[in-house]
Formats: sequence, C-alpha cells, structure tokens
Amino acid sequence: MSLPLEELLRLEPEDILAHNERPKADDLRDKQQIFYEDVEEGMELPKYIYSPTPTHLFRWSAAIENFHRIHYDLDFGLNHDKNPSILVHGSWKQSVVPQFLKDWTLPKGWPWKAQFEHRAMLVPGDILIMWGKVTSKYEKGQMGFIELEIGMMTQDGIESMPGTATVVLPLRDGPDIPYPFVPPAD
Amino acid sequence: MTQETQSALTPEVRAMIGVSGDVVEAWGVVDAEYLRRFTQAVMDPDPRYWDQDFAESTHYGEIITPPIMVSYLASRIRPDQDDPVTRAFEENPESDGIGSVERPGELPPVPTNLMRVLNAGNELEIYKYPSIGDTVFFQNRYSDIRERVGRDGRAFLIITRETTYRNQNDDLLCITRASTIRR
Repeated sequence: MSLPLEELLRLEPEDILAHNERPKADDLRDKQQIFYEDVEEGMELPKYIYSPTPTHLFRWSAAIENFHRIHYDLDFGLNHDKNPSILVHGSWKQSVVPQFLKDWTLPKGWPWKAQFEHRAMLVPGDILIMWGKVTSKYEKGQMGFIELEIGMMTQDGIESMPGTATVVLPLRDGPDIPYPFVPPAD
Repeated sequence: MTQETQSALTPEVRAMIGVSGDVVEAWGVVDAEYLRRFTQAVMDPDPRYWDQDFAESTHYGEIITPPIMVSYLASRIRPDQDDPVTRAFEENPESDGIGSVERPGELPPVPTNLMRVLNAGNELEIYKYPSIGDTVFFQNRYSDIRERVGRDGRAFLIITRETTYRNQNDDLLCITRASTIRR
C-alpha cells in the first residue's frame, strides 16, 4: 500500500523498507500510461526506498570509475576526511533521479528536466526514500507538463537532495510525445 | 555587499563566463556490457535496457541507455594516457584517489584564490536516450559564475559548468550543469 511521505516517516526504519515501491522488471514491462488528465496537484509518486551497503557503494564506484576514497576506504574517510563513515555518492543519487522520473512517465511520457542540491552526508545504514510530489501542471503544444518537487529523504526526515523536476505526459486524446524529445516553442 | 567585502567576481573571473572547452570524443562507444554494469549499479531493472525484442516494441524502438550514463563514459580515463591513479599515489601516498586524476575536456581553472570546493547542485536536461553503438561527443562550458556573500561577510562564488552531450549524428542527448561553491 502506498503511504504518503509524512506517514512513512513515522514508521520504524525496518517498516519503512516494507513500503518500497521500486518496480521490478515485469512491472516496467507492463507499465500502464499515466495521462496528463490523471494527475492532480499534491499527488505523490511511488516512493523508491534504498538501504545502501558498502557493497552497493563499491559497485557504484567501480561502474563509473570514481576512485574517490571517501566512498570505499573507511579508514581514509574516518581519519583523513573526518567523515562519519564511507559516503553515499552524490552521483548515484543523481542517477536515481532520471530513473525515478522515467519509470513514472513510461511508456510514452518523457522525463525532461530536473535540478537538485546535495545536502547531508549519507552513509551505509541510512534508509533513503526517493520521493516526488506534483506541484502544478499545464498543457502546451498538445503535451501535458507536470511540475514536481523531488527529494531523497532519510529515515529521520533529513532532506538530502531537495529539487524540482519537469516531466511530460501525453494527453488522453493527444499525440505521442515526440522522441527524441522536442520541447514546444515558447 | 558591504564596503568591507572584497568582491570575488573580479574581471578575470567574470571573463570565464562562456568559456568553452574543446569538443571531445569519449573513449569507446555506448555498449551493452557497460550498460549492464551501470544499470545494475543504479539498480534499474528496466527490460528496455536488455530485452532486445521488447525494446524494439516500445516507443523508442530499440535498446535504450540511461541518459546520464554518457557523462561517466565521457570521464573515462583513456588507455592511451599515463595511469593517473598510480601516479597520484606515487606523488602523494595520502592521495584522495581523485584529486590528481586528469579527465579529458577539462576547462581552464577559474582564476580565484578561493580554494575550498563544495557541491552546490546539479541540473539535467534530457532529450534522447543514447543508443548502443553511439559515439559520444561532449563539450564543457562555464555557463554561469555568480557571487554571493556568506553569513561571515565573505564573498564566495557559485560556478556552473555546463556539459552538452551529442552523438555521432549530432543528435542532442542531454545537457548537465554542475554548480560548485568556491569559498
């Protein structure tokens, strides 16, 4: 059951994990289109919940060839940079954002734009909640534009990545969103 | 800004706004194995990344790749350059592992004596998913440099570096902007 973010944060960390709405491969294969008309201000997107371990961090460092020791060398992180542990990568959080927006707009919408800041040091053991909430919507060029507030919050309610995003959804009786995406002229 | 505050946005710093680097061809091409490693690391199981038949039936008509993956492809250390990781630790056994690693296409440094660097935020604009086999070309540019004054009364800079990614057909793939605070 999808819980509002506010209610989710009242749960114990292990109970928060039970509300993970990250889709599996078959969910993405069978994803039904959300149309512009289906969206209302205040609507929350499915929340993606992560519990990163040192192994997840190491796998990300290796995948993107990021050699910064603060992400995998605990001794260096504690004693050289005086961090509380090894740190979750900002680049990983940044890569979750387009995935999160893509999944919500599939199969024919478009995750156009996002902007966000990096705050707070995230460490293994944190529960991380990728969330999004509709703030407004408008039609333009036979496309539906949805403005979102987004973020990645810890189990303690600390917002580590406050931001906004703009995604594009098809109108129920409208044409497909062009691919490659071409925004309408101002 | 108070009279006591010395401006960090000097004419030399301001002159860096709009400065672009060379258009650089990233090493290698977008390939299925890198796609597998990347999507597993970001934990995105979307079959559009690996199921050829299904991908061909979708809106995109082919296997797609995450838009931001090209930014890491672009920052790969080229095999025809000296190994910067080994060199970094030869020069400084306490190296943080990243400070001395040269990446292709870097911009000239902003001439400021503000040395402390903090991440201020990121922007993404996405236009097309890279295709398997794409060659990626990228170009960096200082798109904005602004001055702010901190609570301590000292001026600091917010420097935004924009990177544009295109493929071999000159299709625009995505634009990223990374802002850093220099204190």
